[in-house]
Amino acid sequence: MVSTPPLLRRRFLCTTVSKNWTVKQVTKSNFQESLEDIKNHISSSDFIAVSLQKTGSYSAPLHRVLSIDTPEIAYWKAKYAAERFQVLQFAVCPFSIRASNYVIAHPYNFHLFPRDELKIGMPSYSFSCQTSYLTATAREGFDFNSCIYDGISYLSRMQESAAKTQMGNPIPSPDVIKSSSVPTLADTLFVQRIRSRIKHWKNTCKSSSLKTDEPLLWSIRKIVLGNEEYRSRPCMTIDVCSERQVQLVLEMLEDFSDDLVPLIIPAKGGSIQAVRVVWTSSKEEKELFERELQNVEEEENKKIRGFREVIELISASQKPVVSHNSLNDFTFIHSKFIAPLPPKVDEFMCSLRMVFPYVLELNILMKKIGPLRKTTNISAAISYLKNHFLAPIDIEIPHKATVNEGKVHGHNALKICLLFAKLCSILKISPSVIESGNEDLAPTLKGLANIFSRFSTNLEEPVDGNISFWSSSTRKVMSEHLVFLWGFKGGITAGMLKGLLRESHDIFSREFDVKLVDKSTAIVVFWQPGLSQTFVDIINSDGISGSLRELVSDGLKGTCYETYKRVCRLGLWELNLAGSLDRALMKTDCYLEDDSKRIQSEMYWYNDDVINLEEL
Amino acid sequence: MNAQHGPVRAISRALSRAIIRSFSSASSTSSRPPQSAPAFPFKNVTKLNFDASLAELRHHVRASDFVAIDLEMTGITSAPWRDSFEFDRSDVRYLKVKDSAEKFAVIQFGVCPFRWDSCNQSFVAHPHNFYIFPRQELPSFGTSYEFLCQTASIDFLAKYQFDFNACINEGISYLSREQEEEAKQCSNLTYDGELSDMWCNLKDVRDIPLVSMVDILFTERMKTKFSEWCDGLLQDRRGEVQFQRTSEDSKQQLQVVFFKMRPALSLDGFTSHQLNLIQLVIKKHFKDLSYVSVNNENSSLQHLVVYTDSKDDLKLLMKEVKDEQHKGAEMKIQAAIGFRHVIDLLSSEKKLIVGHNCFLDFAHVYSKFIGSLPLTAEVFVSSINNYFPHIIDTKMLLNANYVLQQRMRKSSTSLSSAFVLLCPQIAINSRSTHPASDSCVKVEVQVNDLRSSSWNPGATHEAGYDAFMTGCVFAQACSHLGIDFKLHEPSENLAHKEQLQKHINLLYLSWTNGDIIDLRTGNKVAESSGSLNLKKRCPVILFENIVLIWGFCSKLKANELRECISKVFGVRSVVSVYHLDKTAVFVQFSKTELVSDFLILKDKLERSDGPISVLHPLAKLLEGGNTCAASYDTYKEICGSPISELLFADQARAVGIKWKSKLVEQKVAKESEQDENSSEENIAPSSSKKVKSLNVELKKQSTLLHCVL
Repeated sequence: MVSTPPLLRRRFLCTTVSKNWTVKQVTKSNFQESLEDIKNHISSSDFIAVSLQKTGSYSAPLHRVLSIDTPEIAYWKAKYAAERFQVLQFAVCPFSIRASNYVIAHPYNFHLFPRDELKIGMPSYSFSCQTSYLTATAREGFDFNSCIYDGISYLSRMQESAAKTQMGNPIPSPDVIKSSSVPTLADTLFVQRIRSRIKHWKNTCKSSSLKTDEPLLWSIRKIVLGNEEYRSRPCMTIDVCSERQVQLVLEMLEDFSDDLVPLIIPAKGGSIQAVRVVWTSSKEEKELFERELQNVEEEENKKIRGFREVIELISASQKPVVSHNSLNDFTFIHSKFIAPLPPKVDEFMCSLRMVFPYVLELNILMKKIGPLRKTTNISAAISYLKNHFLAPIDIEIPHKATVNEGKVHGHNALKICLLFAKLCSILKISPSVIESGNEDLAPTLKGLANIFSRFSTNLEEPVDGNISFWSSSTRKVMSEHLVFLWGFKGGITAGMLKGLLRESHDIFSREFDVKLVDKSTAIVVFWQPGLSQTFVDIINSDGISGSLRELVSDGLKGTCYETYKRVCRLGLWELNLAGSLDRALMKTDCYLEDDSKRIQSEMYWYNDDVINLEEL
Repeated sequence: MNAQHGPVRAISRALSRAIIRSFSSASSTSSRPPQSAPAFPFKNVTKLNFDASLAELRHHVRASDFVAIDLEMTGITSAPWRDSFEFDRSDVRYLKVKDSAEKFAVIQFGVCPFRWDSCNQSFVAHPHNFYIFPRQELPSFGTSYEFLCQTASIDFLAKYQFDFNACINEGISYLSREQEEEAKQCSNLTYDGELSDMWCNLKDVRDIPLVSMVDILFTERMKTKFSEWCDGLLQDRRGEVQFQRTSEDSKQQLQVVFFKMRPALSLDGFTSHQLNLIQLVIKKHFKDLSYVSVNNENSSLQHLVVYTDSKDDLKLLMKEVKDEQHKGAEMKIQAAIGFRHVIDLLSSEKKLIVGHNCFLDFAHVYSKFIGSLPLTAEVFVSSINNYFPHIIDTKMLLNANYVLQQRMRKSSTSLSSAFVLLCPQIAINSRSTHPASDSCVKVEVQVNDLRSSSWNPGATHEAGYDAFMTGCVFAQACSHLGIDFKLHEPSENLAHKEQLQKHINLLYLSWTNGDIIDLRTGNKVAESSGSLNLKKRCPVILFENIVLIWGFCSKLKANELRECISKVFGVRSVVSVYHLDKTAVFVQFSKTELVSDFLILKDKLERSDGPISVLHPLAKLLEGGNTCAASYDTYKEICGSPISELLFADQARAVGIKWKSKLVEQKVAKESEQDENSSEENIAPSSSKKVKSLNVELKKQSTLLHCVL
């Protein structure tokens, strides 16, 4: 941890977050040309900053990450949001840090909309919008029309393969590997029949190609004889009923001279419907045709992938990706551009690492500077560093001004670059790949990669609060020592509730604490192991007596941490936590069984009475 | 037919819009293209001009004979299997409409009052195009607003250059009656209940240990400042002046103000930690001072230190503050009602409301401006009937009347094609070339002070224009029904006209299968035989004969399925097979008993392993081991769930269906339910294991069979 040096108020030396930053705005119309540019910039840069603009962030106040959440729960919460909301803008900024205070950045801002370009019901049938989030975005001058009218569409990797079979475009056949299985009688008969058909057809092709028909005559012949054509070359379609038959046809075609090109036509369900054989008049002609097919496929892929091409470029570069609140952003990236999110956080991390080997979270770096530990806002962090440290950073943006000048879109990625450079400079981390000599990431950064900050939102205190005060009263608590209580009278304070509980049952003669999560629900923490379970058993048993019975009769309910986990895993978000917990209890027979292993999770327990949701 | 209903409805409108345009370009004999004609202005209403427009609209609605409405939403169906099908029973249809109205937002609301002008012998229409957006205006109100967008619908709106920025930035927000009540209760609780003292209660201030030197210094400094100020107040009434002089350095932070006729210091620019310290100082050392935080006009929190003479004075002050806050909160609630004032106006004036295929529209009106939608269609319509006693649907009118059908020449009854056919003189941008025939009802559109007898805004898609078209179609239809507006008295209520009695307050619950609901009684009426609705000829669907099957192998096609079941139950056993989506089908049997027979057989096959179940014709259907089946009622149950997964099989799983066959017979069903309850978590995995092993068995056998064949 770096100790805070004496205040250095030397603003004039620091780079200000400038309105003159020119971010290249990319929409449908200039996407293809920008793709080439960004490809070059990605390969010439050391890092890539990303930042997403979405249609919402959480469905209920408690859907935000709380201090009582385990990493798994934080993932479930992020997953729930990523599956519901939509990305409208994706800012990408490849950058390099030279000589510790000089940043070259190439900021791009892609406008996205999940338009169903191919009319196949993808990438997204519908998406949610969070009103307050949209209003706040609008206040910053966001142009929704530009996204919706001209946004670039995309398909995830998973959707791409589904789309290809759904569209049924012919696929060039892969190289044939001779199968070892002995052909059956049926196979032999099938091959013989097809062979003679092809021979006959090929001969007609040859003979007719010698004659130079009038175009009109040619087209009449085509209609009358029902000759097929593919890309203005004669072809023949062979219907097949199984994968085995496809194999047989392809093997058999090997025997023919090299003027036939087989193409595979997929059926809707993912199987193969037919093999199309295309006749080319010569070897050159064949090569030409194959090249043509390859181009067509590439074009097709580009059309299908859309914006995902950029994700693929970043992924292929294997460069470290810098982001802020990476758990939120990368769950979105995974679910929109890679594949649906897996149910477990480990699987997600694994899958993500395959695509992006190094993800650097700014919050992790910020935590290294004591006072910034609780800061979650990039601009606030930048201005804090500006006031307290001498770390001037010069940003150079080689872009020329774009048409959309004056709009403030996509500046976040640039701010991430700036903050990252500042943090590296203050923390004396050498980010420069070239300086460290090898192609790999600097060892310090490598150690920090792929750690996702759990707390994407600030829980405890405003930035300027005295941190030491909070940490001094922090006690660790195990998740299983917590009990959720709800159904008490509205407007009660934690202290009042604690008093009520203390008088209600003997179990409360031991040390315990009460905290309000929201207006409806409180957490009780029992400092003595085992008591929480005992209490849950007591409150749910028939034999309760005394004033606890009174409270229960008035509607008081209690449950263990597992129920809260179920709320988060199943996304049972209601207006308040009490509603969610009630729903979770009703769904005990849910199809997803709880993990047999209960992971005990540690968390920090802050000694204030209320988790202040307003501060979130 | 199972294509997305929403976009289809919209696209059909778009198509006919295109027809209008081609018509207009064909008929305009002048060389001038219609686009270059001076565009007739739209009356767009946003939050910027809402108050003035509301006053104006109030006047127009009062004077009107009827009011036409139309809505633009962010989507129609939240999942493909929630689309409108022929296989929708009326209760299921309502659940689908309810789901749609609850999930999607209304972003534009067209209101167009029509008034008969006896001097000009024409109607005068005043189209209004309201941009609305469910903005959260009350910060303390707990609801988190969220709505769904159907990508296809949004894309469709974008093609017609719908202005999303205007909608989100300047859209008028609203509160439903229910929300208003809740907000009021919430504010009563905040300001009258025990919580009321929270914001000025000093007991809640925690004793913060003054650990750092900075804090101690700050506390001392504040103490001196407050005591100086107090002393000044007591000794010299002009103490303020004195104080200001002594504290020039912190002028920005402490400002002398008057709060409720009492001297006070307003605290600005302190951090929340510092404010905490100040609260502590006041509590510990000053009896005459109290710390108050109030919301000021900009709804930001203002912190004050107020001087009070005595305890009674303090109490009085607290009461005053409380009352003011309460009043402020109520004002805010009143202001947040927003667009609902328009709905309240339409309701209170009891005018005839005209819509086009408007059952969904009214479901939206109810859920957005009245309250949460009731569980059944009957309760819903009776409630709607209460608020809007006279509703007429032009789609209903056009299909129910023979004369109008003749007029429509059997063409589509979509709004725009009806408009082109019935009101060519308005649709087409030509006053001279198209002499209005006698039967044509003249309509003049008026926006602000501009009037025109034709209106064709071209390639736009605005609710205001759709409402206008609806009204025109209605006026024309009335004329064909024999209502002579020339004899129409202004005092007369159009809704009471004899000619309309057969059609009023009837809405299509489902256009697809011609289900009609009577708003007065809640009765469902079958469409009359003379109807134009082409689908009426489809055979009657017996819902008790239907089995819902899902989760089967996705390669299985409808005809294979039919073949597979026919092999067991006979060639004529299956009447129809209908794909809900690629994971689910409805199978209609010829007899009701076959439903339970099928379910029992399926259950039996799944329980037994061995060659019989593998060689059984149904094995193909059960392949994969995830095939579930149930009666039609399960479909209703699943439609009633708030969840919307894309595929039906996923939805059923998300709803929490664990069983694989729900047997129909009462007794058996009960047993299996008990089974379900007792099993809970222990038995379920083992049974699924069994299924798995059966599966493996099945697969082994089938590969064997393949080899043999």
